Amino acid sequence: MRGFRPFLVKELREVARTWRIWVLPSIVLFFALSGPLLAKVMPEILRSMSSEQLGGAVIQLPEPTWRDAYAQWVKNLTQIVTFALLIMLGGTVASEVRSGTAVMVLTKPVSRTAFVLAKAAANALLVAVTTLIGAACTWGVTLAVFGEAPLRPLAEPTAVWLAFAALVVALMTLTSVLVPSPSGAAGLGVGIYAAMTILALWGWAVEHTPAGLLGAPGALLAGERPPLAWPLATTAAAAVVALAAATLVFSRREL
Amino acid sequence: MASESAIELRSVTKRFGDVVALDAVDLEVPAGRIFGFLGPNGAGKTTTIRLLTGLARPTSGTVQVLGCEVPDGAADALARVGYLPDVPAFYDWMTGEEYLLFVASLFALPERTARERAAVLLEAAGLAGVRTRIGGYSRGMKQRLGIAQALMNAPDLLILDEPTSALDPIGRKEVLDMIVALKGKATVFFSTHILADAERVCDEVAILDRGRVLAQAAVDELRSRAGAKVALEVAGDAEAVERVVAAAPWCRTATRSGARIEVQASDLAAAQREVPAILAGAGAGLVRFETVEPTLEEVFVELVGKAS
Repeated sequence: MRGFRPFLVKELREVARTWRIWVLPSIVLFFALSGPLLAKVMPEILRSMSSEQLGGAVIQLPEPTWRDAYAQWVKNLTQIVTFALLIMLGGTVASEVRSGTAVMVLTKPVSRTAFVLAKAAANALLVAVTTLIGAACTWGVTLAVFGEAPLRPLAEPTAVWLAFAALVVALMTLTSVLVPSPSGAAGLGVGIYAAMTILALWGWAVEHTPAGLLGAPGALLAGERPPLAWPLATTAAAAVVALAAATLVFSRREL
Repeated sequence: MASESAIELRSVTKRFGDVVALDAVDLEVPAGRIFGFLGPNGAGKTTTIRLLTGLARPTSGTVQVLGCEVPDGAADALARVGYLPDVPAFYDWMTGEEYLLFVASLFALPERTARERAAVLLEAAGLAGVRTRIGGYSRGMKQRLGIAQALMNAPDLLILDEPTSALDPIGRKEVLDMIVALKGKATVFFSTHILADAERVCDEVAILDRGRVLAQAAVDELRSRAGAKVALEVAGDAEAVERVVAAAPWCRTATRSGARIEVQASDLAAAQREVPAILAGAGAGLVRFETVEPTLEEVFVELVGKAS
């Protein structure tokens, strides 16, 4: 993997010095910080609505807890942040090929495998660090707002989502190699995600495939023990296959 | 340099579907030369360069760069190659110096060497002290940075695709001077359709048209192959002189404009010998006899014109 390290360093510097540092971290941190506050004030907002506005209905809501704050975090991770990843990572390889910067790099002693894997590694690192910082923020704000914030109910769903996010990074690396336009690659990624959500309606798929990880964070937060061994193993395998396919296809591609 | 030939193409064909971009091309670039790769737009110059740099694969035939088979051995070859594409693209968020240091890291150069070389090359490119990010560079600045990055690894072979096409006359002169300065230190292979540039700096050229190499030779040899041009100015019956000259075995073409006759001669010595006799026979006097060496442009136009 000639050239992996210097190219990874360039990728990380690019994250720090371009729009990439603002998009994902901004989204994650916004929801991480606002989620617990929203969980706290939402029942009061609803209660403050007059019964006339609600057609005479009276709303009975339980007092919010740390669990509601964590539920906001998990919901945002599995929906909004996942979609942001799909859109953002569409240009992983495609944008460099399209702009011509890939040609400048790949005519130096840098293997195409190193080029693809360094990009995937930088994206995975960005997602992991951002998510961990976001989770820490959610934990801190939840503790401040609710006076109680157990670690395990937050850590388990976040870890499971991170495993799913690693698959998203690998799949988006592949789609970005397969489709020459960043928006086209993002569209293909959204299509694959939609197919997985449909697959998640099938019990066997939930127990044995990465589709099982879609609902697992919510289930873990609710105190359930969803099947995780097979979904995690197949997710890891699918990520490796996607990255291997991406490097193979890119190595044979004429630029 | 390990190999006597810096570049060797043997029966290289490249097809894109039904389109034949390169048709059984044979090309040999001796090490240490400044080699011009000439051809009109669409001749296949950039396709050839993409094969040399491992960006594309030949449909058939073999490509060797610095003794390494390409694309399979491209990584070893590319460690000793500098390359500038026709439109270089950079990371806009970097400064020129940062880009050169990034390139140095790809070649695994020691940091001190990298910094020293970057400083020298930025100075040579007229970019020393420029703190603007590359995104704010003009096209000419990008072209000069492109040349600087191609030299970061002190290459044995420098491949330049139309290096002067985006530059103003002063920038063009600087680039050509730089190419000349590399003579004896590296092989320079550069494609161009600006024939005056090739004529000025190249030891040897190949002329490509529609995917075929029409000629490969030293510039002087190509000119002599094309034959000499003789310009006559006649006092008297120029029309009669033109008729006799046109019938001479050494005359390829003869064109008259008033008293002036231009003759393309395949054998200059024979023309010099026989023209006075022809003039005397026609009862005409000689005002001027001038031999004009054909330019590379004339050779190019003749070869490409014949091919089409």
